[in-house]
Amino acid sequence: MTLEPMTGDAPAVTVRSLTKIFGGGATAYTALAGVDMDVRAREFLMLVGPSGSGKTTLLSILGCVLSATAGSAVVLGRDVTTMKPDELPAFRLQKIGFIFQGHNLIAALKSRDNVALVQELRGVPRAQALKDADEMLVAVGLAGKEHSLPGDLSGGQKQRVAIARALVGAPPIVLADEPTAALDAHSGHAVIELLKALTQERGTTVICVTHDPRIFSFADRIVNIEDGLIRPDDGSHS
Amino acid sequence: MNTELPPARRAMVMMRVGITMMLKDRARFVGTVAGVVFAVVLAAQQLGIMFGLLQKNTMFVDSAAADIWIAPPGTELFQPGQRVPASTIDLARTTPGVHLASPLVVGGGTIKKPDGGNEGITLIGTDTSTWLGGPWNMVAGAREAILQPDTMIFETADREKFGGLNLESIREVSGHLVHVGGFTWGLIPFGPSYAFAEIDAARDMLGAASNRVDYVLVTVEPGMQTEEVVSRLKARMPDLKIISGPDFHTAIVTNLLKNQLGMSFGLSTSFGLIIGLVIVALSMFSSVIDNLREFGTLKAIGCTNRDLTALVLAQSVAYAVVGSLVGLFLVTRMAAGIRSARLVVITPAWLTGLVPIVMLVLCLLAAVLALYRVRKLEPGMVFR
Ligand SMILES: Nc1ncnc2c1ncn2[C@@H]1O[C@H](COP(=O)(O)OP(=O)(O)OP(=O)(O)O)[C@@H](O)[C@H]1O
Ligand SMILES: [Mg+2]
Repeated sequence: MTLEPMTGDAPAVTVRSLTKIFGGGATAYTALAGVDMDVRAREFLMLVGPSGSGKTTLLSILGCVLSATAGSAVVLGRDVTTMKPDELPAFRLQKIGFIFQGHNLIAALKSRDNVALVQELRGVPRAQALKDADEMLVAVGLAGKEHSLPGDLSGGQKQRVAIARALVGAPPIVLADEPTAALDAHSGHAVIELLKALTQERGTTVICVTHDPRIFSFADRIVNIEDGLIRPDDGSHS
Repeated sequence: MNTELPPARRAMVMMRVGITMMLKDRARFVGTVAGVVFAVVLAAQQLGIMFGLLQKNTMFVDSAAADIWIAPPGTELFQPGQRVPASTIDLARTTPGVHLASPLVVGGGTIKKPDGGNEGITLIGTDTSTWLGGPWNMVAGAREAILQPDTMIFETADREKFGGLNLESIREVSGHLVHVGGFTWGLIPFGPSYAFAEIDAARDMLGAASNRVDYVLVTVEPGMQTEEVVSRLKARMPDLKIISGPDFHTAIVTNLLKNQLGMSFGLSTSFGLIIGLVIVALSMFSSVIDNLREFGTLKAIGCTNRDLTALVLAQSVAYAVVGSLVGLFLVTRMAAGIRSARLVVITPAWLTGLVPIVMLVLCLLAAVLALYRVRKLEPGMVFR
């Protein structure tokens, strides 16, 4: 069982005047100061900017793990800033694949169980979920590592399992926050190459935060963010 | 689009993850189970000893084979030093529904050791025509030995204490020379052990009047209701305490629990449970803290609070089950090891059945702190 990828040219993400203020009073901090951004379906977008510019904050709001202060963020046709809190987990589960800076795997679970868990939560019977997981692990180049625990894998392998977990069941959007930051240059390059290839063949929309100029070339488009605002001179390239 | 997973199946998925996580962290698992085992062992052991002590105080009543006891007013325990009028026996015997009515004499006596010292005994004078209140649990000799002149039956566990008693040993009991005619096993109440003599011999040794009666033990005629006979006896002897054997047992237990045993054993039992609760609670809480990122990740990928509750509760149920089984095994072994004539640890079947239930409640309570932390966890933390 797979999720349907976005079809047509409807934008995958539309962000308008998105504002996030942490705290209040004298210590209030504006992390996002009115962001406007569109992401097309099937686009591989990289979000870059200096440390503290608001990249993670933006990604967190799009990923429905952080609430916005003002503005709107329409993800796959739904404004996530107005969704009820109890709707968010199901939305994340069904629509969004997450890749974190660390692999964030469950240490006690074998790679295949880490991947299959997402499918099982989506309602896929266990046998099928394990099959999906094993196929996904083969796709990320980890054939034979299905029964390995994360602790027995290298950093690059763990991040591949994380990619498998994010992509299994083909969610329409993948959000990645510095997925190569914890890896050496070689594995980082391999991991992003893999992510690009797999998401392209599945028609997945990707928003990938990165600091790493060596992987910029994989982006369909690069968006610069600075002080909580998208830099206007932003252009697309491919 | 995928179908919604039924809540029960979804909970099963999460429980499997929880159990896997629990077993992976072997040191913590062992430590937490040890906490539950500690609580089981301490609580069950304390209760077992308490039941053993209660039994010491009720065993005479339980074994005397009397349906009804006639005792001096105000009697709360079976102990020496109380009297009923000698006429009580005839009054009882002539009450319709009474089958047998036997006098019993109970007094404090001393036994003189060969080296000169003295030890206390609880001297029981038994009516050998009915044997109500006679010796039981005989391990040497026969109860009929006390039919021989100046012959008594003593407690085997006190043979050393009484200066190396053997069958046919001769000792001075409260100034009278007696033969040892037999031994009982485990007849040691709170006070000195029971030592049995024929009732007139006992009166003699106690320097008591030849008609002294401390209790009257009654059996009812076959087919009679004990309660009915109790009320008839009460009507004839309004000033005496008349109580059925089972009610006397209950009264003794209630009295001891209210006055001393209940408090001290209640405290030590609760202590065991509280320590267990704290160990399990801290362990589960620290497990959540140590794995905060994993729980945050689960939330981020779409687990709900209910999912994570299932995960955590599965762990606490597993701790309770494993801890109860190991604990009960140890308790049984220890009770067998401790068992002696002086102290029998009694773990009734209902206690064994109750332990896993109490531990389940304890472990579920212990999970509250961990659950609170998990539910409060913001999934956004995974990006930090
Ligand atoms: N929970 C919070 N409370 C207060 N301030 C916060 C919180 N989260 C983020 N911030 C602040 O918001 C600003 C933007 O943070 P954000 O993590 O989005 O930056 P970033 O672009 O991802 O930086 P980096 O490249 O270092 O990851 C930072 O100054 C940060 O200190
Ligand atoms: Mg960041």
